[in-house]
Amino acid sequence: MITVTINGKQIKLEKPVSILEAAKMTGIKIPTLCHHKSLEAYGGCRLCLVEIEKMPRLQASCTQYVTDGMVVWTETGRVVEARKAMLEFLLINHALDCPYCDKAGECDLQDLVMKYGPAAGRFTEGKRKHPESYDDPIIVRNMERCISCTRCVRMCSKVQGASAISMVNRTSKTFVEPFSGGRYNCEYCGNCINVCPVGAIMSRLHKHTYRPWFIEKTVDTVCSFCGVGCSVTAQIRGNSIVRIIPESEKGLNRGLLCNRGRFGYDYISNSGRLKSPMIRKNGSLQETTWSEAFMYIAQKIKEIKEKNGGAAIAGVASGRCTNEDNYVFQKFMRLVVGSNNIDSIAGFAYAPARKFFEKIFGQGVTANPIQGISRSDGIFVIGGDPTAINPVLGLQIRAASQKDIPVATVGYAPGLKGFAANRLIPKPSTEAALLAALLTEMLKRKPLPAEKTPFEEIIGKIQPVSLNEAESACGIASGEISACVDSLSGMTNPALVIGRDIIQRSEGQANLLLLAALAQALNGRIYLSSELPNEQGLIDMGCLPDMLPGGRPVAVDSFRKRYGEFFNAEVPSAQGLSLMEMVEGAHSGNIKALYVMGENIAFNIPDNKFVKDALSRLELLVVQDIFTTETTRFAHVVLPAASWAEREGSYTNLEGRMQHLKKAIDSVAGLEDWKIIAEVSKVLGVDMNYRDSRDILAEIAKVSPLHKGVTYEDMDSGECMWPYKGEPLRHDLNIVGIDMPDMKALLKKPEKDKVYIGVDKVLFHSASLSRNSFALNSIYSEPHAKIGKNLAAKLSVASGDHISISTGAGAIELAAVIDSDMPDNIVLVPNNFEGRGAFRVMGWKMNAAFKAPALDGMEAVLKKLERVSAEVSE
Amino acid sequence: MEKYLLRNIENPNSADINEYVKAGGYKALAKAMDMKPADIIEQVKKSGLRGRGGAGFPTGMKWAFAAADPKMPKYLLCNADEGEPGTFKDRPLLEKNPHLLIEGMIISGHALRAKYGYIYLRGEYPQAKDILEAAIKQAYEKKFLGDNILGRGVKFDLCVHQGAGAYICGEETALIESLEGRRGQPRIKPPFPVNEGFLAKPTVVNNVETFSNVPYVLEIGPEEYSKIGSSDCPGPKLFSVSGHVKKPGVYELPMGTTLRDIIYTHCGGVTGDKKLKAVIPGGISTPVLPADKLDCPMDFVNMPKHGSMLGSGAVMVFDETVDLPKVCLRAIKFFEHESCGKCTPCREGIGWMRSILGRICGGTGNAGDIDLLLEVSKNVMGKTFCPLGDGAATVVQNFIKNFRNEFEAHINNKVRAER
Repeated sequence: MITVTINGKQIKLEKPVSILEAAKMTGIKIPTLCHHKSLEAYGGCRLCLVEIEKMPRLQASCTQYVTDGMVVWTETGRVVEARKAMLEFLLINHALDCPYCDKAGECDLQDLVMKYGPAAGRFTEGKRKHPESYDDPIIVRNMERCISCTRCVRMCSKVQGASAISMVNRTSKTFVEPFSGGRYNCEYCGNCINVCPVGAIMSRLHKHTYRPWFIEKTVDTVCSFCGVGCSVTAQIRGNSIVRIIPESEKGLNRGLLCNRGRFGYDYISNSGRLKSPMIRKNGSLQETTWSEAFMYIAQKIKEIKEKNGGAAIAGVASGRCTNEDNYVFQKFMRLVVGSNNIDSIAGFAYAPARKFFEKIFGQGVTANPIQGISRSDGIFVIGGDPTAINPVLGLQIRAASQKDIPVATVGYAPGLKGFAANRLIPKPSTEAALLAALLTEMLKRKPLPAEKTPFEEIIGKIQPVSLNEAESACGIASGEISACVDSLSGMTNPALVIGRDIIQRSEGQANLLLLAALAQALNGRIYLSSELPNEQGLIDMGCLPDMLPGGRPVAVDSFRKRYGEFFNAEVPSAQGLSLMEMVEGAHSGNIKALYVMGENIAFNIPDNKFVKDALSRLELLVVQDIFTTETTRFAHVVLPAASWAEREGSYTNLEGRMQHLKKAIDSVAGLEDWKIIAEVSKVLGVDMNYRDSRDILAEIAKVSPLHKGVTYEDMDSGECMWPYKGEPLRHDLNIVGIDMPDMKALLKKPEKDKVYIGVDKVLFHSASLSRNSFALNSIYSEPHAKIGKNLAAKLSVASGDHISISTGAGAIELAAVIDSDMPDNIVLVPNNFEGRGAFRVMGWKMNAAFKAPALDGMEAVLKKLERVSAEVSE
Repeated sequence: MEKYLLRNIENPNSADINEYVKAGGYKALAKAMDMKPADIIEQVKKSGLRGRGGAGFPTGMKWAFAAADPKMPKYLLCNADEGEPGTFKDRPLLEKNPHLLIEGMIISGHALRAKYGYIYLRGEYPQAKDILEAAIKQAYEKKFLGDNILGRGVKFDLCVHQGAGAYICGEETALIESLEGRRGQPRIKPPFPVNEGFLAKPTVVNNVETFSNVPYVLEIGPEEYSKIGSSDCPGPKLFSVSGHVKKPGVYELPMGTTLRDIIYTHCGGVTGDKKLKAVIPGGISTPVLPADKLDCPMDFVNMPKHGSMLGSGAVMVFDETVDLPKVCLRAIKFFEHESCGKCTPCREGIGWMRSILGRICGGTGNAGDIDLLLEVSKNVMGKTFCPLGDGAATVVQNFIKNFRNEFEAHINNKVRAER
């Protein structure tokens, strides 16, 4: 026990902490500029100097640790004089342009000078000159204001792990500069902006558009981009969001954000937002009134239902919509339309993976806190780059790596290069061979117990694969594979981070089985990457063809009955269609009407041409969205929705945490998605009678066994974790219906000279939504085709050269980017930009087990283009 | 006195291993290989050897701290970043007697069970780099370095790392940062390098001259060694004497030789037999002494009693013609240029002092400038992250304390200092 006296207050501490921290515990604030709670102590600004009895010199309280019996004084005359001196020093080369600086009003330096003085400086010579840098579209650097606290540099290297910026020069000529020079070549997380105590590094997006004291309202809400669900604070003036900032004390992100979350919100104020309902008349969409639109939809649905039955109507839900929207939508489909045809993009990878793991390990197995990743003793990453898909989750992996926790990555994960001790990059679609070999070797080191669980029985039956067999299939040296096993076998409770790339495959189920076996052998915790903010909510809310709210199967009579009885209605028993089956159904004519809520299926589903063809055959296509999209162009009715910032509700993130989405601003034209659906329902004779989203949540809390009594207040407490307040579905782990992988087929080598196309997950974009963000477009405005160096050499292509990529489905032309880490026979194309998305040229095969598209084995022919083509014909 | 550190230095081929061996070199290494590591540390402790870099920390004690830390591997770093203005004592060792340093490092490595050593060499010593590397190559060829030193199964690898010209990298933690490939800036202490140094492993950083003393301790034994010079900090010491003396250069003299002896006996007195005005006894960071304080024994214990410090033993002699405010300005320009920029008072304060001194020396100083200068130096003193800022403040304060009239003369007469 350590006893310390600070300003006469005695405190007892279990373990030594810095004086700064000890003082904070007793409510004594010691001023500092270089210290930041997410960063290690630095000791540079010297503002936190304090007097310690028996020590002749003043000591920096951030670097000095308390010892037993220490007596500290934080505001003596000597200390205050020293602080005044440090501030006087800092102002020597500080611009003192507060009247013009956006930081004024929330500037730490300004506040401290106001408190401690000096009133006037005694430095009479000229200040350092350093022109403000506008070289970057997002980040403005004003190095005349920089006080060299290095918070930004430490944030960038130690927390973000990007190491994009550095201090340059010595003495008072020191300043911060990106290694890339003027324009940043970085991840644009903006965390440097967040930690800058002065106005030296600022966002250009709202430069000179606001002053901190003009903020009228702040709303704590959840980010709208990915499945991590970072807490963000929206600062509002008038009816517009001035800034999105994280708060260091709040949420699972603890003050960190990624580029999308911090800058990408500006899509909500894009002038292209849909402003009025539209109905197709004489072949073109024409503005109409809401009531006319509701009448039209209801009438059409009624007609089709009468003529073809409810099963001819299908609904597409959205991972961008709230739990409340999705709940109401599935209720509408099941009880009003009378169809279990409800699914979403989550049905392609997230949902089947989750279902598969739950079948083996029980419900909720993937509900693991993200913060646990950096605290685990090993990390295994496969199926995508978490630093691009779920950036703040990715930071957990980087943080772990910086603590020397072993990280192994399988596949091309450029964001973890330099963080993974074992990087295995197999040839396209050969991960199964690699996984089988990893499993085989692991089981040699840690054999299965004599008394086996049912799943261990299954693992025992998986055909072993030797290192050499794996080497010849996936092209990774057996030594590298066994080095990875060495690392894995030292882990006792690792985190397994699994992405969609390994799931959306013909052999997706084999991959999942091998991963489940590996998880069992490693005693690992599973994290499923999720690209949308509410994929988990889609599952929990019953937006699956075979699942009711609360994760109860439709096929079980008692669940179906119980759910129907709440509303005196009947849930159809017929198995619903998956999203891909709906598209096929529309194409074949079995599906007559499609109701799409917040999804751009004509773009976000592979083989755009096929999907568009299918959509054009529908008798009714209703689309609720906030923008005109590839899908709305085929719609009979288009309804403007409220954006993420314009509604209340909840999101459930990939760790199974329900979070409260709060309304920040009023919608100018759009309505909440649930409200639109409830209105249509009302016209169809079923009045859902919701006043607001609270009413919906109250109903969910009643009908979903998983969400018993859940309220927004529970979510606001920050710990509304799966299984919320309810009961997960317990089932005996009698695992049936799992096919043993056919190892012989999986060990087949990919054909050598063929090039395959895959989807590149770009850090700066999010499906087709982010293309409406001015900020994100200014960072990444053009899609690129990524290829490896050998393929580039073969095509004699240099970075920036244009290439054409053609497949059986079509062709696109893009500028090439060469990344030496990529495997030789693959080209990666993002799916974000209109007319030039990967899914324009990518086809699919139906994965029968998942009823979802498999994206592997899509051969592409690459050709170098001599001319640069500006237009791409549709 | 019999020379040890510089004993072979007149030989034009002194850097060659055969010449070095002929003169008795690497005998101490053979002796050390027969000793237990702990015994070597004990002998160094008993010898009273203190670090020659400037702080005078007992070498044996430093080694014992590192040896007591269970973490492995341990690293041995030689601080050859000789950058203190006026200091050039390590240069003859590096260029003329590199095998003495190498032998000292191998013995020290054995004592600490360190298998890797680095010589962090001042960026501005390119000749020394070539000489050292050639010497290291020879030592490998003769099996003094490598996996199996002298067939005793002991391993020690040594290489040279050249700095990029930053004075601050002479500070041991900044040196380690720089060696690790980062910006040369001092680290927070504790942890001290003996526990968490290079690559977070126990690390001993010693000066070139310190390592070069180690073979001698073994050669003559700690008892004999401790009889050389001052009893509190014994041993031979190199003094680099510059400025207004008849015979400037590097002198190997017993620790505790008085400043007067150094200047008048060994260096032949002041050039042109002019009057002596001031002496900086231990490199630019040590307080300047006026001419009446020359009878101080030059060692770590006695110099503070006389108002200065031994520092690196770099004696700078100024005769009566020297404009001392200008010397002060030159010194502060150096500190300003070398301030790493990490902490506020050093980064901003030294530049401010330079500008005040600049206007005083430029003949445009104002009445309150000396007090302002003292005030700024007071605000720097004791508040910086590392001793560099203190060094600058010390220079200003001592020059003004001892020669305030010269500063006042500049201000009152509006005299511009001559070039």
